[in-house]
Amino acid sequence: METNQYIEVFLDESREHLQAVNDHLLELEKQPEDTSIVGEIFRSAHTLKGMAATMGFEDISSLTHKMENVLDLIRNDQLVVTTELIDITFNCLETLEEMVESIAEGGDGKKDVSDLVNQLEAIEKGEQPASKESENSSNTVETVTALEVDEYQKTVMDQAKEQGFQSFQVTVTLNEDCMLKQARVFMVFEVLEDLGEVIKTVPSVEELEEEQFDHHFSVLLLTKEEAEEIRSKVMKISEIKQVDLSPFSDRKIEKQENNQKEGTQKEKTQPEKSENNKQQSQKKQAQSKSIRVNIERIDRLMNLFEEVVIDRGRLEDISRKIGHNELIETVEHMSRVSKDMQNMMLTMRMVPIEQVFNRFPRMIRGLAKDLDKKIELEISGAETELDRTVIDEIGDPLVHLIRNSVDHGIESPQERSAKGKPEEGHLQLTAYHNGNHVYIEIEDDGAGINREKVESKAIKNGILTEEEAEKLTDEEVYPLIFSSGFSTAEQVSDISGRGVGLDVVKNTIESLGGQIFITSTPDQGSKFTIQLPLTLSILSAMLVNVQKETYAIPLSFIEETVMLKNDEKMFVNGQAVMDFRGKVVPLVSIQTIFEVPQNIEQNDKQDEAVVVVKKGDKLTGLVVDNFMGQKEVVLKSLGNYFKDVFAISGATILGDGSISLIIDPNALMKG
Amino acid sequence: MATVLVTDDAAFMRMQLKDILTKQGHEVVGEASNGQEAIDMYSELQPELVTMDITMPEVDGVAAVKEIKKINPDATVIMCSAMGQQGMVIEAIQAGAKDFIVKPFTSERIEEALAKAL
Repeated sequence: METNQYIEVFLDESREHLQAVNDHLLELEKQPEDTSIVGEIFRSAHTLKGMAATMGFEDISSLTHKMENVLDLIRNDQLVVTTELIDITFNCLETLEEMVESIAEGGDGKKDVSDLVNQLEAIEKGEQPASKESENSSNTVETVTALEVDEYQKTVMDQAKEQGFQSFQVTVTLNEDCMLKQARVFMVFEVLEDLGEVIKTVPSVEELEEEQFDHHFSVLLLTKEEAEEIRSKVMKISEIKQVDLSPFSDRKIEKQENNQKEGTQKEKTQPEKSENNKQQSQKKQAQSKSIRVNIERIDRLMNLFEEVVIDRGRLEDISRKIGHNELIETVEHMSRVSKDMQNMMLTMRMVPIEQVFNRFPRMIRGLAKDLDKKIELEISGAETELDRTVIDEIGDPLVHLIRNSVDHGIESPQERSAKGKPEEGHLQLTAYHNGNHVYIEIEDDGAGINREKVESKAIKNGILTEEEAEKLTDEEVYPLIFSSGFSTAEQVSDISGRGVGLDVVKNTIESLGGQIFITSTPDQGSKFTIQLPLTLSILSAMLVNVQKETYAIPLSFIEETVMLKNDEKMFVNGQAVMDFRGKVVPLVSIQTIFEVPQNIEQNDKQDEAVVVVKKGDKLTGLVVDNFMGQKEVVLKSLGNYFKDVFAISGATILGDGSISLIIDPNALMKG
Repeated sequence: MATVLVTDDAAFMRMQLKDILTKQGHEVVGEASNGQEAIDMYSELQPELVTMDITMPEVDGVAAVKEIKKINPDATVIMCSAMGQQGMVIEAIQAGAKDFIVKPFTSERIEEALAKAL
C-alpha cells in the first residue's frame, strides 16, 4: 500500500516536471538567450533526478543527471543554446516520458540511455574543466558573502560578546540525496537553539521552510559552547554531510569588501533570484490549496449522488401529491441544494483540456521536422473544461486528426508558395463551451479534402456506386473518409495514412456520445469539429408522452418544441414534413417507430406536439402526444442483454418509480 | 547491538525493515501494525529503539511517539515517512523523535540513523 501511494505521487510529480521541461524548452527555443528559462528546466531535471534516484530508477536519474550538467553550463553562460542542443534535450525528454510511462504501466522504467548520455557528455566535455573550478569558487564566495549583519544584529552580537558569548558562522551541508530538507533543517535548528541563539540565517528562514536552497545553508550562532562541541552535535543528525564552523568577526566584513568584485557580481544576480523565489513560493501556495483525490472515489460519490437524484425526483412527486406546504418547501430547498451539489460534483470531475493540448506543440514541432514542412500551431481555449473520462479518451483521436492535418492537409513549403500561400502552414486548435456541449476544432489552411479522390476510393472500396456518387453533396462525401480502410494519401507515410485510423477516431468520439463534422474548401483548408457532451451520466431531458408511455429526449439535442396544426403537416414523396422557419423538416412519429400500442382513444386532435431535434445542420421533428416538462434524469444503461437497441441510449427511473426510455435522436435523423 | 520494535501498518514494510535491521545485527523484538499496538508493546518489551511509520490506522505515528515519550522520556524513536509528510515529521520531532528516514529506505540510511540515534 505505502509503496503504491508513493509511486503515484512519483508518477504525478514526474509528469508535472516533464511537462514543465517541455513547455520551457519550447519557450527556450524562441528565446535562446534567456537563461532564467534554463534555470527552470534545470530545477525540474534536478527534482526528477532526486525522485528517480530514491525510487531506484537508475536510468532516469543518470539521464537527468547528465542533462543537469549540460544545463548548468548553459546557465553559467559557458555554453550557448543551439538547435542541436534543444533537439537532444527533446530526445532526452521523450525517453524520460517513455520511462515514466513504462513505470506507470507497472514496468521497471529501464531503458538504454547510454546513447543520449554520450551525446550529452560530448556537449558537456567542451568546457568541463573551466566549469568545475568556477563552480567551486562561486560556492565559497556564496558562503562568505552570505552572512552580512545589520546594525541591530551587530549590537546584539556586541552585547553577547560582553556576556561571554562567541559568534560562529555555521555552514551546514546536507547530503545530496536528502529528502524532506525542511524537516532536516528543523532538526538542525533544534540542536543549534539548544546550544545558543541563532540570530541570522542565509537563506532566510522562510526560504529554508520552503526548501528554497540547494544543499547548504548558514547561520550566525551566538553560543558559549566550543566549536568542536557544536560540530559533533550537529553531525549527530542524519543526512548531514558537512558542518563548517568559523568564528564570526567584523574582520570578515572587511574581507568581504575586498572581495567586492565578486560581491557586486553576486548582487547582480541576487535580485533576479529572489524574484524567482517569490514566484516559486506563490506557485507553491497555489498548489497547496488543492489535494489529489482518486478518481474512483469521485466516481463512487457520483454514483451515490445519482441515487439521490432519483430519490429527489420521487420526493418532488410525493410532496406535490400530498400538498403539505412545509413538506413542499423543504423538498424544494433540498432540490436546490442538491442541484448545487450536482454542479459541484460535475466540476470536480472537470479538467482543463490543456492537459491534452499540452503535448501538441512538441508533436507538431517533431512532425514538421520529419516532413520538412513549416507549421505554426495556434491553440486557444485550452482552459476549457471537460469531464475527466472524456479527457482520457479524447487524446488519441485528436492526435490522429492533427497528424492527419499535418501530413495530408498542409502542403510542403514549395507547393504552398506555388499556390500563392505563405510558406508556413497554419494549424488552429480551438476548444470552447456551447450550451451543453464542448466543441473542439482542428482547422488547417492546407489543401482541403479532394472530393474526386474520396469518391473514387469509396467506389473502389464498394461503399458507393458511381450513380450515388454523382448525387451526393460535398458535405455527404467528406464523412466517407471516416469509413474503415480509407486513405486518400498517395503515399503511405510514417505519420498517418495507413487508413486504419479515422474510422477509429469516429468510433471513439461516438462512444463518448459525441459527433464529428467536417467542412473543407479545396486549397483553403479543412476543419474538423468534434462535439462532445459536457457530462456523461446526469442529463437534462424533456419528458414526453406517447400513449401511456413516457420517453425522455436529451435536452442537448432539442432545438425547439412546436405545436403543429393538422393543416401545417405536408407530404413530400410520401414522407410527412413540416415547415419550420422556412425549412422543410421531416417528421418522425415516435409511436410508429417504437410500435407503441394504441390504447388511448384518439379524439380528433387539432394540434400535434413536435420536438425538433438537431444533429449538425440537420433537423428532424419527433411527433409525440404530450410534452410533460423538463427533468434531470440519470442515464442508466440497459445492461449487457440489451445492447444496441435501436434509437434508445438508456433508461432512467422517474419520480413516481416508473421507468422511462431515453431516446437517442442521432438514430432518428432523416435526410 | 540494539533491540528494536518495528511499527508499520504495511506488512511488506515491516518485513523489509526487519530484514535490513537483522542483517545489520540488530534484534527485532516486536512488530506493531498500528500506533496503539506500538504503545502497548513498548511498555511490554522495553526496546532500545522504535521505528515508527506515520500514517497508520487507530493511532497514528505522531500520537504514538507522544505516548511513548510519556512512558519513557528517553525513548529512542525513529520516524519512517513518505515524501510529502514534512509537517507530520516536524511534529514528530517536536514530540521527541530522534530522527526520520524517508521511504523507500536504503540499508545505508537506516544504518546511519541507528548509529546516530543510539
